Amino acid sequence: LLFCSWSVLWSGDDQAEQFLRSGHTNNWAVLVCTSRFWFNYRHVANTLSVYRSVKRLGIPDSHIVLMLADDMACNPRNPKPATVFSHKNMELNVYGDDVEVDYRSYEVTVENFLRVLTGRIPPSTPRSKRLLSDDRSNILIYMTGHGGNGFLKFQDSEEITNVELADAFEQMWQKRRYNELLFIIDTCQGASMYERFYSPNIMALASSQVGEDSLSHQPDLGIGVHLMDRYTFYVLEFLEEIHPASQTNMNDLFQVCPKSLCVSTPGHRTDLFQRDPQNVLITDFFGSVRKVEITTETLPLDRTWFPEEELATEPLKYAEQLPVAQIIHQKPKQKDWHPPGGFILGLWALIIMVFFKTYGIKHMKHVF
Amino acid sequence: MAAPLVLVVLAAVTVRAALYRSSLAVFIAERVEVASPLNAWKRVVEGLALLDLGVSPYSGAIFHETPLIIYLFHFLIEYAELVFMITDVLTAVALYLAIQDFNKVVFKKQKLLIELDKYAPDVAELIQTPMEMHYIPLKVALFYLLNPYTVMSCVAKSTCAINNSVIAFFILATIKGSAFLSAVFLALATYQSLYPLTLFAPALLYLLQRQFIPIKLKSKSFWLYTMQYTSLYLCSLVVIICLSFFLLNSWDFIPSVYGFILSVPDLTPNIGLFWYFFAEMFEHFSLFFVCVFQINVFFYTIPLAIKLKEHPMFFMFVQLAIISIFKSYPTVGDIALYMAFLPVWSHLYRFLRNIFILSCVLIFCSFLFPVLWHLWIYAGSANSNFYYAITLTFNIGQVSRVRQMKENRDSAKRG
Repeated sequence: LLFCSWSVLWSGDDQAEQFLRSGHTNNWAVLVCTSRFWFNYRHVANTLSVYRSVKRLGIPDSHIVLMLADDMACNPRNPKPATVFSHKNMELNVYGDDVEVDYRSYEVTVENFLRVLTGRIPPSTPRSKRLLSDDRSNILIYMTGHGGNGFLKFQDSEEITNVELADAFEQMWQKRRYNELLFIIDTCQGASMYERFYSPNIMALASSQVGEDSLSHQPDLGIGVHLMDRYTFYVLEFLEEIHPASQTNMNDLFQVCPKSLCVSTPGHRTDLFQRDPQNVLITDFFGSVRKVEITTETLPLDRTWFPEEELATEPLKYAEQLPVAQIIHQKPKQKDWHPPGGFILGLWALIIMVFFKTYGIKHMKHVF
Repeated sequence: MAAPLVLVVLAAVTVRAALYRSSLAVFIAERVEVASPLNAWKRVVEGLALLDLGVSPYSGAIFHETPLIIYLFHFLIEYAELVFMITDVLTAVALYLAIQDFNKVVFKKQKLLIELDKYAPDVAELIQTPMEMHYIPLKVALFYLLNPYTVMSCVAKSTCAINNSVIAFFILATIKGSAFLSAVFLALATYQSLYPLTLFAPALLYLLQRQFIPIKLKSKSFWLYTMQYTSLYLCSLVVIICLSFFLLNSWDFIPSVYGFILSVPDLTPNIGLFWYFFAEMFEHFSLFFVCVFQINVFFYTIPLAIKLKEHPMFFMFVQLAIISIFKSYPTVGDIALYMAFLPVWSHLYRFLRNIFILSCVLIFCSFLFPVLWHLWIYAGSANSNFYYAITLTFNIGQVSRVRQMKENRDSAKRG
């Protein structure tokens, strides 16, 4: 009996815990590729493979902000146009008809990225370019490109620093724009980018530590460039095993790509995250899995829930708004400033002096 | 000669009144050729409105008039149109009286020189007959009042008219020989727009000539008189500036008025030469070139004084022309003033070589100003270079005219 009650309690706890696992109701993904030029093919392929996984696991295009700094599929140097391969021998094409790129080419700038994150966007921006998250959103942010200690290079001309990124996330936290945030970065010295985060509920993964370079996977001799970076290649292989119902947790993701395979040491940071990574499902961030509770009861909508509507007052007629006397007899504007008395006195004294000096005193009798 | 003058005055007043009532008044008031940042009526109204709100009118960069103008218009703002019409009439009357007296002097001198046989025999055409000289003052008044430039300037209510009137009274006082009044009016004119300072030299020369004091550097009476006149002028200037201080209890007006005239910060296109240069110039060089351009106005005084010391009135005319061409914010009102003096030397006209071309240049340019402005600003098919080219041509035309007259004067006197 004890065992039964204990197991019931345990399962109740488990159920409760499972139910309270994550407080999110919607998922967003911001996937950024920051490099341009043909030889950075692998960064676009990285981003597109994460895009593919995220879409496959249920996040719709309306909740994905995909930023690609260059067009590899239609690049004139692409021997296989309209394709972006992530595996050599052209095994997996991560491009296709249903890839919706939101920020393309020169629109991928530090400013635009920060505006997307913080929501401080001009009113004319279309919805597809906005991160319309709320305080119940779990956001996945994936960035790839060329980076260094403390910065990530955008478009070969500008940089975003780890401080800026941390401040942007703090703005998001202050504005309640996320519930939990997973930040993955695949660049050289990627761990430096998450060093400065200070907002709660952020988990971060990076492909290499400070001082290490992230290396690319094998090149494809048919296309002529490296197709993927090692870290993302192995993450992609890992994600291919995930399906919407899988219970794989974050600890498994941390084990992806050990040093033997990746050459660099992947890092992660969970101190800001409130839940135990063991309890965080991969699908909490990569998929769009929601907690749905089915109920068969009917809930009556109580009239007491709505306050009494106040009686609307009669609107004032136009004529009654201003006193008639004021409207009809508009007085001319009073001149508020007057020249000082001393000035007037002095001026006229001078004028009279000049007059008499010129014309002599004998004219005095004409004046008076 | 009173009756024809009155007639001319009436005609002028009618033309102005008609234009005030028509729709052209607004159009003309906005033209950059007529209203410059220094003398636009809009700015006077703005300054007075700021004063009514309790703010110093010099606090923004809008109002660049002197405190005495504030005082004048504080009481007369409702009668602004009348004020400007009366100002124009006063200017014309002052010029009339001035030229009348001047002609008497010239006639006497001419008679003396004829009797002394100083003239060469073939100079008969240059000698003015009494008949011609009788009508010259009327022509001067006519030239001033009915000049389209003056009319436009009056309709736009540009305070250039007030400046012209003060200069006209200054010329009248100089010709009448009253050093005191001449100094006072010159101080007023300098106080309002800095450049009449250069008219000090011709006035001094005329007064010396009138007192029969020879212009020799060693002569004691020369220096005495010069010192007297200078001290009168400087004292009146100081008194006027101190009085202005008491109007608003601040020295704000000095950087706003004189600093503005000298440093040329506002580069709105006008008919002058400053705006284009300074719009294109790098900041590094602008101080140097501002100094160069400003010196250009004052620079010709001394050489002209040496050359034209026997003809101070002509010197005055040339100096006025130089001021109105090279000042920092010229308008057509300034041009109208010196054009009024042209009939005084009408006997030189037959010797002006390119008179036809020059007149055509000036008339064409006057018409092209609004055309090219429209093309540049509204149609967008021209650019600032077009407008600048026309200002260049216009000013070249003016300079050529002045130069021609001077050359003719010299060649006529030489014989």
